[in-house]
Amino acid sequence: MLAQLFNSTTIPVLEQVAGFAQDRHQVLAGNLANIDTPGYRTRDLPPELFEASLKKALRARDQNNQPAAPGGYRRPSNPLAEVRGDVKSMVRHDENNTGFEAQITEIAKNQMTHSLAMSVLVNQFQLLGAAISERA
Amino acid sequence: MISALDISASGLTAQRTRLTAIANNIANISTTHDESGAPEAYQPRFSVFETDDAVRGPHGAVGVRVASVEIADVEPRWRYQPYHPDAVQEGERKGYVAYPNISVMTEFTDALEATRAYEANLGVIDVTKEMVQQTLRILA
Amino acid sequence: MSNSIQNIQSQQLSFPQPPGAAPAAAGEGPSFKNVLLDSIQQVNSMQQDANRAVEHLATGGDISPAEVFSAVQKADLAFRTMMQVRNKLVQAYQEVQNIRV
Repeated sequence: MLAQLFNSTTIPVLEQVAGFAQDRHQVLAGNLANIDTPGYRTRDLPPELFEASLKKALRARDQNNQPAAPGGYRRPSNPLAEVRGDVKSMVRHDENNTGFEAQITEIAKNQMTHSLAMSVLVNQFQLLGAAISERA
Repeated sequence: MISALDISASGLTAQRTRLTAIANNIANISTTHDESGAPEAYQPRFSVFETDDAVRGPHGAVGVRVASVEIADVEPRWRYQPYHPDAVQEGERKGYVAYPNISVMTEFTDALEATRAYEANLGVIDVTKEMVQQTLRILA
Repeated sequence: MSNSIQNIQSQQLSFPQPPGAAPAAAGEGPSFKNVLLDSIQQVNSMQQDANRAVEHLATGGDISPAEVFSAVQKADLAFRTMMQVRNKLVQAYQEVQNIRV
C-alpha cells in the first residue's frame, strides 16, 4: 500500500528525469573540462534515447494496470527503475568535436529540464504531505 | 554530482597551468641567456593536456590534467647587436644575438582562450551547485 | 483511487429510491451528495490529466512546460479545495454531534 502511495503520482517518473539530468550534467562537465585536450571526443547521454526508454517503461506500467487476473499477478513496485540503467550503455562518442558553444547550450538545456522536474517533484511531495496531514 | 565538481576543478587547474606557461613565455620575451649565463634564447613552454581517468564520474564523464609542460625547440630570432654581451663571438652568426621566437599576439590569443575555458568551467560549477540545491529542496 | 470511487457510486445506485423522490429532486436541482461525488471525480480526473501531461513532457512530447505546470497547479488547487470542503464538513458534523439534547 505504501509503495502504491507514490505510484499514483508522477514521482517515479520525475525521479528518473531528474536523475538522468544529473548524470548527463556530469558527462557534459567532463566535456567542458576537456575542451582543449587533443584527441578528446565529446561524450553525451542522448536525451532522445532516455525519453524512448522512459516511454517504453511507462507503456509497460500502463499495461500492467489492467485488472489483475485471478490468481494474482504481482506488478513490480517501480517499473521505471530500469530506465536509467538502460542509459548506461548509450554513451555516445561523437565523430566531431561539437565545440564550446554547443556544450554550454546543452548544459543550459539540461539544467532547465532538471529544474522543471525538480519543481514538479517538490510540488508532488508537498501535495502528498497535505493529503497526509489533512491540512490543505 | 560531487564528481562533477571534481571534474570542473580539474579543468580549472589545467587551464591555470596553461595560463602560467603563457605568462612565463610573455615575461621572458627578451631573455637572451639562461640561468648559468650562457647565451641561449628562451624557448617557449607549452602545456599538453590529457584526460584524467583518476577524476571520473558515471557514464563516461572524465576530467583533465596537464600531462607535461613541454619546451619547444624553435629557431630563435636573430638580431645584429655586436656589442651585446650575449652576441655570438665567432662563426657565421658573429655579432648576432639570439632572441626568443615568441609572438605576443599568439600568446595573448592563447591566454584569452585559456581564460574563456576557465570561465566556462566556473559556470559549470555554478550550475552544479544550483542543481544540488534544488535537489535539497525535496526535503525542505 | 478510482476503484474506491466506483465502489461508492455502485453503493449509491443500490439504495432503493423512495417514491416521488425523483420529481422533487428535479425541482430542487442535483442533490448535495451528487455534487460532492461529482467534484471528487473531477479532482481525480484533473490529477490524472496533470500526471499525463508530466509524462508527455518527460517522454519528449510536444507539450510546453507552461501547460504542464498549469495542469499540475490546477490539480493541486482542486485537491486542496476539496480538502478544505471535507474539513469543513467534518467540523460541521462534529458541531452537530456536540449538540446536547
